[in-house]
Amino acid sequence: MPPRGMPPRPRPVDPPTEVIPRVEDDYDDEYYDDDYYDEDEKDALPPESFARKAVRGVGEGLITMGLVVLLFVVYEVYVTDLLSAEKQQDATAALDSEWSSNTVTPPPADPNRQSKLNLIEGKAFAKMYIPVFGNDWKFSVVEGTTDKHLEIGPGHYKDTAQPGEAGNFAIAGHRVGKGAPFNDLDLLESCNAVVVQTQTQWFVYRVLPMSSEVAGWASNPKSKQPACTGVAPLSTTLGDAYAKTVGQEIVLPTQGEVIAPIPHQTAAAVPADKQARLLTLTTCHPRFSDRQRLIVHAIETKSYPVADGFVPPEMTEG
Amino acid sequence: MYGWIWRHLPGPLYLRVVEAVVLVVGIVALLMFVVFPWAEPKLPFNNVTTQ
Repeated sequence: MPPRGMPPRPRPVDPPTEVIPRVEDDYDDEYYDDDYYDEDEKDALPPESFARKAVRGVGEGLITMGLVVLLFVVYEVYVTDLLSAEKQQDATAALDSEWSSNTVTPPPADPNRQSKLNLIEGKAFAKMYIPVFGNDWKFSVVEGTTDKHLEIGPGHYKDTAQPGEAGNFAIAGHRVGKGAPFNDLDLLESCNAVVVQTQTQWFVYRVLPMSSEVAGWASNPKSKQPACTGVAPLSTTLGDAYAKTVGQEIVLPTQGEVIAPIPHQTAAAVPADKQARLLTLTTCHPRFSDRQRLIVHAIETKSYPVADGFVPPEMTEG
Repeated sequence: MYGWIWRHLPGPLYLRVVEAVVLVVGIVALLMFVVFPWAEPKLPFNNVTTQ
C-alpha cells in the first residue's frame, strides 16, 4: 500500500491494439518451388559428359557387385540352412515311416554277422546323434556324398562299411550352410560319443585319443573315466597298421585313404574279420574353405538292440 | 544406372516406390533361387568329401 496522503500514481494507458495487415511472403514458395531448386542444382553441376556417365556407371556397377557378393554370403550361410532343413525333415519323415511300417528282424547276437542294410542313394538309412552337441543335434544320414545328397544331411560314402560293420563307416557333412551338421566337428574331444541308430540297433562310437594324447594315454587320468571304456590308441590294441588312426586329423582333399577300412592303409593288411569297427567323419577345413579336410575317427564301443522306449545311456552325456 | 531406372519408372511417387521394391525383391529372389544354386558348386567353399 502506498503511504497515505500521496495521490495514486497514474497508470499507463494501454494503447489500442494495432491490427497489422498480413504481409504476403513469397520467400517460402520460391524456396520450395521445384523449378527454382532444380535450376539452382543444375547451375552447380557441370554438364553431363560421357566421362561423367561412364564413371558413375562403373561406380554403381561396383556397388552392385559388392551387394551381390554380400547377398551370396547370406545365401550360403542362412538360406541354404532353410532349404536343407526342409529336405532333412522330409528324409527323416520318410525314414520314420519306413521304420514304423516294415517288420523288424531282431539283430543276430554275433556282431560279426550283421544283416546288411539295403542302402539306396539319396535315401536316409540311419540317425546320428552327438550328445555333447546337445539334445537337438540329430541328423538322418543319407546314402551317397554328392552335392545333392549332402544338401539333405550327412552322407555315407558309398562302398564304405555300414554302421556296426567291421571296417570304416565313413560320413561326410557340411560345415557351413546346408544345415551345417559338422559345424563344430573340431570341438569333439577324445571319448565323446557319436551314436548311430539304425532300424534295429544303436551303435555307440567314441572318438579315439588325439595324436597328442596317444603317447601318455595309459597314464592319462582321462583314460580312467567311464566314458573312455574301450577307447585306447589303436596302435596299442590293434597293431601298427592303425598307428595313424587318431581322434582328429587334418589332411589334404586328395587323401582319400582316411576313409579306407584301415585308415591310411589302402592295401588292406588285416583280414576283414580282424578289422576294427570304425566311424570316420569328414568335413571341410578351415571353415569357409575347401583347402583341407577335417577328419574325426571313432571306434565302436557298444551296441544295443532297438527296443520301445529304450534310449542308450550315452545319449544323455554332455 | 539406378538414376536411369528411377527416371523410367512410370506413375506418381508412391507407385514408383512400390515398383522399385518389387524390382529389388524380384532380383534378390532370382539370385537366391536360380543364380546362387547354379554358381555355388562351381566355387571352392564347400567341398567336404575326400577323393
